[in-house]
Amino acid sequence: MDFAKSDIQTMLLESAERLLSPSAHIEYWREQRHTELGFEEARWAQFAGLGWLALPVPEEAGGLGGTLEDIALLNIALGRALAIEPYASTAVLAAHILDGAADREQGRALLGEIISGTLCIALAHQEPSADPLSHAAATLATRSGDGFTLSGAKMMVLDAGSASKLIVSARIEGEEGTGLFLVDADAAGVCARAYPLIDGTRAADIDFTDAALPASAMLAGGNAGKTLLEEAIARADIAQMAQAVGSMEACLKICGDYVKERKQFGVAIGSFQAIQHIMADMFIAAHQARSMLYHAIANSRRSPEERTAALSAARIVIGEAGQLVSRNGIQVHGGYGLTDEYAISHHFRRLMALEKQYGDLYAHTERFGRHVLA
Amino acid sequence: MDLSYDPALDAFRKEIRQFIADILPADIQARQRTKAANNAYVPDLLKWMGILNEHGRAVPHWPVEYGGCDWTPQQLFVFNEELYAADAPEFDWGGTHMLGPVIYTFGSQYLKDRFLPMIRKGATMWAQGFSEPGSGSDLASLRTAAELVGGKYVVNGQKIWTSGAAHADWGFFLVRTDKTVKPQRGISFLIIKMDTPGITVRQIPQINGEAHLCEVFLDNVEVPADQLVGEPGMGWTYAKFLLEHERTTSSFIYWSKRELDRAKEIAKGEMRGGRRIADDPAFRARFARAEADLLALEWSVLRVLAHEETEFPEAAAASVLKVRGSELQQEITMLQVDALGAKALRYYEPGWDEPVASSEWPDYVAGRTTIALINRAATIYGGSKQIQKNILAKLAFGI
Repeated sequence: MDFAKSDIQTMLLESAERLLSPSAHIEYWREQRHTELGFEEARWAQFAGLGWLALPVPEEAGGLGGTLEDIALLNIALGRALAIEPYASTAVLAAHILDGAADREQGRALLGEIISGTLCIALAHQEPSADPLSHAAATLATRSGDGFTLSGAKMMVLDAGSASKLIVSARIEGEEGTGLFLVDADAAGVCARAYPLIDGTRAADIDFTDAALPASAMLAGGNAGKTLLEEAIARADIAQMAQAVGSMEACLKICGDYVKERKQFGVAIGSFQAIQHIMADMFIAAHQARSMLYHAIANSRRSPEERTAALSAARIVIGEAGQLVSRNGIQVHGGYGLTDEYAISHHFRRLMALEKQYGDLYAHTERFGRHVLA
Repeated sequence: MDLSYDPALDAFRKEIRQFIADILPADIQARQRTKAANNAYVPDLLKWMGILNEHGRAVPHWPVEYGGCDWTPQQLFVFNEELYAADAPEFDWGGTHMLGPVIYTFGSQYLKDRFLPMIRKGATMWAQGFSEPGSGSDLASLRTAAELVGGKYVVNGQKIWTSGAAHADWGFFLVRTDKTVKPQRGISFLIIKMDTPGITVRQIPQINGEAHLCEVFLDNVEVPADQLVGEPGMGWTYAKFLLEHERTTSSFIYWSKRELDRAKEIAKGEMRGGRRIADDPAFRARFARAEADLLALEWSVLRVLAHEETEFPEAAAASVLKVRGSELQQEITMLQVDALGAKALRYYEPGWDEPVASSEWPDYVAGRTTIALINRAATIYGGSKQIQKNILAKLAFGI
């Protein structure tokens, strides 16, 4: 157990510092939310140029083979800068599934495109009214001829806006486990209704109506498919929680500065004990959140049961902390906290979005409670 | 950064677990497990210190030259965790974790030779005389005075909340030796034998039926001048040193882990309406939250132990341990009480005798409320939660 940053980690954070200048990110955010993708392709290309998109990919698959610690540190920086690029969904989640694809050649070719920044892939897994923590799907893939036909409805596919391909989870008729299928976003039988989320990211509800897929579309199936999906989401969980930690730490900085500048009754509001105690509570919550990210990372290399329990426990602490920090962050800003101009309202929206994806606080509390009191 | 668990530490844990199982007397363990009292039975505690000392492990956190084990902070963490998990009596922390480090860091050779072996062997309990009736959170305003008269300090004043003073042979006190300087500069650190003429100890009946906390009255108490630790006027600095030296102790992480396990045992053992408390969704959610928070606290402790560099001062990270640790202690004791429901209302005379257990009244019932009641002190002593938050805000944000 070593908390000191390695040389590579230090370089990574320095490059993040340079690209994601904190002073510019709100302006960037405000401009990009009216565009089609919600982010600038040129900046995504810079992510690629800095090797960030290669970081999570194993060396033998042409990536940099970064550890989860490396990935988490970069995502803390992304969260701090309110980056809304589809890093977790493409570079972490989809990349892991492609790396585990049954057809190794196919997977590696697609990974190459991800690494170069030319391909974004979104996971279409969540279904209306489904258990957000389940790795099974009701969407049905039926074998037909050499390939499959796919039918079903997916809901709130995260980062669908920029994805030219989708990884769709489906039950394969008559088979156990979960099939993972690679589908072109504009294929026949695929109908997407896109919408923005409160944090500026782009999601879509996607219906599949007898979409015809070649046999090669199946990346994984059976229990292997289910396990691969579970592992990939677990890695995306770490990336997202790291972004939440980064966002909370940004809130501490923003609010710490604000309560020293903002004057009422002739003095800085930070001189009031009521404000000091709110700030102390925010610090404690953010600190505990980072600790819990570490716990989740440390346990990610243990048994699947330990990994799952640690992830849910971390989701609880980080989800609650994100709410406490961002809500109090608005409170200390007074009315300005509710304006689009002040960064705190952007962090509030981002933290709320991060808390509810891949299983919300309630789902993780329920799962972890059952685990510890079994 | 590499957060992987160290396999060598797992091996160390196994060794420690076996070591404790081999030497912890069964009767002492049983009393510690089922006691209807907040603190360990004093004779058990002292005997246990003696046993650990025979094996060279009574004060593993001290420097080797004074009897320490040269373990890493992570090994010390495991050692303490295993002691609590095994229901070994708690240390007399005043001696082993407060006075000891102050003596070996600032004390004269005479004090080291005289008192360090006493602490190590468990020869006596130590009373900590810091707070006064008018000086709680504002400790620097303390007024108990020590005046140097003919090679002796003559002490007059009053201390309060002096834990275990009725059972302590010795105590360490903060006293004012100079009234002419800034309050913090005029305080000295003085070791006093509790049977010195002029000392009166009065036990304070507590909310839970115990009387562990005491008032200590000092009336012309004569103390040899060589029992003043270090330099006169440096007492405040030493007191701050010991708090900083023991930054992770205030988390009570080991205690809380043990007690959360007991809360789990109760929740699984208690039935209401044909269902285990553990299966009640509202209880389960609260328990899940406490367990997750405790895991986070454990990592926060590990981060401080490893002196992780962050953009905030380390002292701010240490303050988190005290605030969150004390809140969690209280939440865990209340989880136990709430899992027991109305059974928690039964009053048990404080003591260490094995409770008379039955299927309706398992042996985990006695002691829970006794401890939960006095545990309201966790967010008060050692700097109240509100004072801690003031300090934290200043450290982290400069406000």
